[in-house]
Amino acid sequence: MATAELTAAFARLDRATSTAELVQATQAIASLQDPEAAETLIKVLGFNNPAVASVATEGLIRLGCAVVPKLLVNLDARNYGARAWVVKVLATLRDPRGLELLEHALQADIAPSVRRAATRGLAELDLNNSRDADALRRCCDGLLLAGRDDEWVVRYAAAFGLERRLQHSNVSASMTDQALALLRQLSSSSEDVKVVRLRAQLALQRLNAE
Amino acid sequence: MAVTAPLNETQVIANLGQSADPSAQYYAAWWLGKMRSRHPEAVPLLLKSLKALEQTPVEPDRRGVALNAIRALGRLGNPAARNPLCELLNSTDYTVREEAARSLGRLRDPAAVPGIRRLIESGTTVAGDEQAGSPLLKEPCEALIEALGDIGLCSAETLAAIRPFANHPRPLIRAAAYRALLQLTGDSSWGVQLIELLKHPEALVRRGALLDLGATGWTGAGSAICAAAVEPSLKLVALRSLAEHSEDPQVLRAMDALI
Repeated sequence: MATAELTAAFARLDRATSTAELVQATQAIASLQDPEAAETLIKVLGFNNPAVASVATEGLIRLGCAVVPKLLVNLDARNYGARAWVVKVLATLRDPRGLELLEHALQADIAPSVRRAATRGLAELDLNNSRDADALRRCCDGLLLAGRDDEWVVRYAAAFGLERRLQHSNVSASMTDQALALLRQLSSSSEDVKVVRLRAQLALQRLNAE
Repeated sequence: MAVTAPLNETQVIANLGQSADPSAQYYAAWWLGKMRSRHPEAVPLLLKSLKALEQTPVEPDRRGVALNAIRALGRLGNPAARNPLCELLNSTDYTVREEAARSLGRLRDPAAVPGIRRLIESGTTVAGDEQAGSPLLKEPCEALIEALGDIGLCSAETLAAIRPFANHPRPLIRAAAYRALLQLTGDSSWGVQLIELLKHPEALVRRGALLDLGATGWTGAGSAICAAAVEPSLKLVALRSLAEHSEDPQVLRAMDALI
């Protein structure tokens, strides 16, 4: 049962017509930090309104890993914008249960913003247990794939992600070699987009691997 | 990965060279620009497709191919495209003038400045006035002004031609003028005007102003870009432009936070 406060906040959302009202109503729902609000916040992600969606995203992130199963079930396959925000929530929560969805989003999603957010997720999922070796390998494979994406922003995210994984995770020697080789390629003249080269150079610098 | 048809360059060149299937030509012209083709036949074939614009009347299918060719020539950066594109500024077709200006801006061709400037010199009451019964202005002012800024050749005549548009009734035309004036003079007060437009109630205006700020490479815009009520994808495009102009690692840090 939703609390009276939450019910009132839902009613306010239903009555909202302008962006300002939608933002305020979503903020009111998010501020209650009530797990019962998760489905409604997920629905708000599909309104195709970035100002409102970013408030709902923050709200879902504050609810923490308890929302992960709901996000996995409620992902709206037809709405690009909403998918990007859901992938962003999963990426920020760093919950390993999101791995399969992030892998799939990176491989199959036609929207670059979704592949970008998925790449970030693969860079940052919490996998510090040694039994997560297989999951870590899958994350790194995803990052290597992202580094060959057609869209510059996904390759940029791959450079960011490979740096993260090489710095903070226990990556195998052969995977490290592949990751460094890709970063060197992204920093070289074979990469057309200057900002990707700049980011890959920064990663190599930080890894002392220029 | 994105779902693109696995066409190879040789096939695309052949598609552009034939004339039986205009939709294959249309796609081929786009593809060569998108993929930054270095094929020796690419530029000659793209230039050849512009000839369709000289016929009267212009065949609609071939006009479409030519418009894509204009865009591709802007991306390929080959100096052979400069004169033919400058010629197109004299076209009676609004969209042809608009796309030619955009491509000349991309090519950063200083020789194009007088021809572009001439089209806006009549000011906001003629070039910048609305066409009867159409949302278009008499000239493609936004593209023309942006091209002058991107080319970056500053002179008193060019500044005098652009300045009246900083008071145009349409916010996106004002944004183009602020952007170009910031690029040409380096005077950050024009950047402050662009930042003001990031608070505009219409999302379209906020997006336009955001991309304009990015295009100027003015690092003073970084925090305003990050804070704007615009989707992260566009902020990344604007910050990319800032990073590439300034090579400031702070901008990369801001981008990392948005991916």
